[in-house]
Amino acid sequence: MSVEAAKNPYSVGKSYSQIDDDILKPVESFPTKLWYIAISITGSLALMMFIMIGYSFYKGLGILGINNPVGWGFYIVNFVFWIGIGHAGTLISAILYLFRQRWRTTINRAAEAMTIFAVMTAGLFPVIHVGRPWFIFWPLPYPNERGPLWVNFKSPLLWDVFAISTYFTISLVFWYMGLVPDLAMMRDRVERMQASSPIGRFLLSMKKVVIRALALGWVGSGRTWTHYEKMVLMLAALATPLVLSVHTIVSFDFATSVIPGWHSTIFPPYFVDGAIYSGFAMVLTLMIITREVFKLKEYITLKHLENMGKVILVTGLIVSMAYTTEFIMAAYSGAKYEQYVFLNRLKGPYAWAFWTMFACNVVSPHFMWFKKLRTNVKFLFFISIVVNIGMWFERFVIIITSLHRDYLPSSWDMYVPTVFDYGILIGSFGFFFTLYLIFVRMLPSIAIAEVKADEASDHLAKGMGH
Amino acid sequence: MGLIQKIKEGLFRYQEADHGYIARFSDVHKFLKAVENARDAGVKELDTFTPFPIHGLEKAMGIKRSWINFWTLVFGLCGVTAAFSFMVFVDVFNWPMNIGGKPHFAWPAYIPISFELTVLFGGLGTVGALIYLGRLGKINRPLPARGVTSDTMALWVGDNIGKEKFDSIVAGLADETFEIQQGENE
Repeated sequence: MSVEAAKNPYSVGKSYSQIDDDILKPVESFPTKLWYIAISITGSLALMMFIMIGYSFYKGLGILGINNPVGWGFYIVNFVFWIGIGHAGTLISAILYLFRQRWRTTINRAAEAMTIFAVMTAGLFPVIHVGRPWFIFWPLPYPNERGPLWVNFKSPLLWDVFAISTYFTISLVFWYMGLVPDLAMMRDRVERMQASSPIGRFLLSMKKVVIRALALGWVGSGRTWTHYEKMVLMLAALATPLVLSVHTIVSFDFATSVIPGWHSTIFPPYFVDGAIYSGFAMVLTLMIITREVFKLKEYITLKHLENMGKVILVTGLIVSMAYTTEFIMAAYSGAKYEQYVFLNRLKGPYAWAFWTMFACNVVSPHFMWFKKLRTNVKFLFFISIVVNIGMWFERFVIIITSLHRDYLPSSWDMYVPTVFDYGILIGSFGFFFTLYLIFVRMLPSIAIAEVKADEASDHLAKGMGH
Repeated sequence: MGLIQKIKEGLFRYQEADHGYIARFSDVHKFLKAVENARDAGVKELDTFTPFPIHGLEKAMGIKRSWINFWTLVFGLCGVTAAFSFMVFVDVFNWPMNIGGKPHFAWPAYIPISFELTVLFGGLGTVGALIYLGRLGKINRPLPARGVTSDTMALWVGDNIGKEKFDSIVAGLADETFEIQQGENE
């Protein structure tokens, strides 16, 4: 590595073909024992979730803990949690792209994949929560035979349908288009491969057909690259307001209601920031595992992890400020129902959830002030898990504590989750990690063309000095 | 130059590198120099093949910047128009419903869905435009030169300029040069 290139902390300093070999190693070699163990655990959890979901379709939602005042239970908590997880992926792929943050290069592919899988996981919950999931297409405004009958476009729940399906589609397209140059590179490697056994030959020929179709006949023409780069810029410019709109609209589900503790104008920025906070924690969890297991430490360096630690610090501070603002506004409002809800959060029957959330979200990010802790991989891993526990509890506190004691004390009730609530929550993690594990085995988890482009621009910048 | 003409120029400039001369490079500097030489020599049938985007390549090739953002705007406007007018059609004309005393034409409530469909149409339209303008989707397109998706940059020049001129363009820069005929590739 030259002196010039060494100045850039994100330079990999490797030849182009070496970058291909390193990043494609997990894809082209036989999966390790560790991978099989991991996927059998996560796969079993996902299977358990689907069995439980099937049972809930058979028996009905009565098997869950939801009751009359608390009509939204774990399902909606999980929904908001998983949608939030997705936000960091788009932040890295779109917003950091617009800000020309070079450290996003090696983590954006996996983060974007995480977004897609998180949105898929989140999307399950409204579907299984509607009671009659076979009618889930009803929120779509399709022409029907029931006279002029349309959906209510003035409802935030309907806005959510559009926001989340758009978010999923655009994220998927953005991710796939980013993959195309790498898929072309994989195609040209697969073309040269040979198999010895008849089954191997059959599988290889299938692989060739699939990857050839997915690579779209990409050959890296200069004219195509010109359009391609402009397209990436345009998609980033579209995805940036999109990601902000998604959690804003999710927060409208709560904020436009008249429930004390929900009816608040602070919700949109508060939710968006919380989403980025938890999403970055999840990216950190996944990146630490990925770089350890697939030996990608030269690509996802300590510096990348440290940067993510800094983002967690900033977003964690904003979350803390949002909590404080909520309490001050409740005290200042003079509305006794509002004040009661917040006191009930502090001291009521769900105070344990509130204080768990407080410890995880308000106290723990402060460790990120210290460089020693920010660059300690084990500690970062620990903090990333803690933050996600805290953010799950944040949604629990918002939803359950606001609902379980409403205006009429005679209708107050406690929310007690059943084994199905817990099972489906744990299973959703299994589902998410199964998808991620399949992804790292099937596709390059680092955007190879982008890494090479950065290396080449270092090389060019060095040349200018001569 | 009128707008329509500009768009047309952006539309029809892709050329298949199926006949002519190809030079392979492993060094980005030498590659860019050769591309500049070709541009300065006034070569019209010219394309490059690289495994990654290279800063300054458009200028070296002498091609204009992409007009794909124009299609983002067009499709985005289609999205917002479709969404807003459909909601007005439903709420005001086809199925006016009194929901919580809200007016039938409640335009602020239409903003979120109008925005989402702007992004959806704009994004998908941009990708569709890329597939069309970049001539993607021809999945059996032969690779013009070995390694151009991995570690090699290649310059393609149409065969109407003659071998001598091509050799002078890439002299001392290319790792390897060869000629391709219609219907055959390396």
